[in-house]
Amino acid sequence: MPESLKNYLGLMAAYVRINLNAQLEYRGAFISEAVAMFVNDGSWVLFWVMFFHRFPALKGWNLQDVMTIWAVAAGSFGIAHALMGNGWHLPTIIVNGQLDLWMLYPRAVLPHLLLGRTMSTAWGDAAFGYAVYIALVRPDLAHFLMFVFLTVSVAALYVGFSVASASLGFFVGNAAALCEQWRFAVITFATYPQSLFSGLAKLALFTIVPAAFVSYIPVEALRMLSIRHVLASVFGAVVMLGIGSAMFYAGLRRYESGNLLSMHG
Amino acid sequence: MKAIGKYTWIAYTSVRSSLAYWGEIAARTIFMAMILYIFMRLWTAVYEGAGAERLGGLSLKQMLWYLMITEAIVLSSPRVSVEVDEDVRTGRLAVQLLRPLSYALFLMAKTFGERAVRFTMNILSGSIVTLVLVGPIPMSLSGLAMFALIVPAAFALDFLAYLFIGLFAFWLESTAGLWILYSRLTMLLGGMLMPIEIFPDRLQPILRNLPFAMMVYGPARIFVAPNARTLLSIAVSQMWGLAAFSIAVYVIQNIALRRIQSNGG
Repeated sequence: MPESLKNYLGLMAAYVRINLNAQLEYRGAFISEAVAMFVNDGSWVLFWVMFFHRFPALKGWNLQDVMTIWAVAAGSFGIAHALMGNGWHLPTIIVNGQLDLWMLYPRAVLPHLLLGRTMSTAWGDAAFGYAVYIALVRPDLAHFLMFVFLTVSVAALYVGFSVASASLGFFVGNAAALCEQWRFAVITFATYPQSLFSGLAKLALFTIVPAAFVSYIPVEALRMLSIRHVLASVFGAVVMLGIGSAMFYAGLRRYESGNLLSMHG
Repeated sequence: MKAIGKYTWIAYTSVRSSLAYWGEIAARTIFMAMILYIFMRLWTAVYEGAGAERLGGLSLKQMLWYLMITEAIVLSSPRVSVEVDEDVRTGRLAVQLLRPLSYALFLMAKTFGERAVRFTMNILSGSIVTLVLVGPIPMSLSGLAMFALIVPAAFALDFLAYLFIGLFAFWLESTAGLWILYSRLTMLLGGMLMPIEIFPDRLQPILRNLPFAMMVYGPARIFVAPNARTLLSIAVSQMWGLAAFSIAVYVIQNIALRRIQSNGG
């Protein structure tokens, strides 16, 4: 097991290098897209700055908490899709029957497929998350280390969720719109203070739309330096990865080739 | 007259084509319902926290209807720049220019048709959701007429801005960064997330004079609080904006078209 993990970490490092080099062939496009995403996230933070300037507290949450939400949500989304960009493109790959290529390699299909591409905008998200946390929240060392750990944990949850939502395509035909809405729901709910929601909505945020694991639990962990919440975050990530993998491999049995000639590299 | 008929037919074809994609319409409706629910929770908490009946001159009900309109406007915006970018990059633009049509007017007619469908659907579904969430607000026929008068100019401004960005494909590797930036500025500075009256006092006069406010804030404000003086002020600003944007597009299009090289074969 440790040997296999080491092996896949090596593969990840190689793919990051290759994917980044491929992106840098179109340096202007890569940089402008990453910067645009940074600005996109920044515009939301600017909105919240103006919002809290007018209304200093929102159901017990203040500006620093919302900055932390954005830092964790953007940073972890960025890490997930900068490293495993195919997670985001998986619905199209499944619907178009383009999995054949990945099934030919002597590697486990899912991790290898996920590593096969990077998303240029995700680099902007990752940079934004860390920049906001360091520059605006100004953490001490303990908080910063916990933040790093949590962004990795939430990134794993995002990967699991991307795979789970994309795998709907195996079962529901063209599930692109459904998958997109499910993903948007998680991202959107994750970027608002969770204290706004109660009852059934709150239950949904811990289950079907797991936004609470993206923002609420990590923010609580960082607010109180709580190991219990860190463990809850890791638990969420492990469960989501498990659900994603189970749905993907169950769906793969139903997969029909698109008879497409695909190339990778 | 014949030319008007030609472009009207293009707009009509675009309407019919957009109506064919019910899946997309349903997906937008779900997303809009979700956003409105979040806004309802957010602004209910704000009004309760502030202990105020009105904020920025709007009651809670008016605020939700205002946000419904801004969302309907922003979510209905077709990404014209992406299409122009593709036309330039693939060389399809050279073929478009052979047709007995103005490229800009062709795109405008197509975009208006597409947007008319999206906007109508957004308004219908948004109105139902807002009615369920907060109930009705007083409306008058004259108010609705003012709204109907101001919306097309807002759409024309938005179209010209996207066309302007798309034409930069002649010089840039990708215009994605520019349109993301533009759409975020529209969202933030146009008053999509909160009316301009809620922004810091010093910013308000600046925001009111930017084109973003003429596209989003203006129509939404007229919808919830119709007023002839506001209408006149917004309409005049829109006319100035249209003149400036048209000149900018005309100049850049002329410069860009000189760069086209067409080879037979």
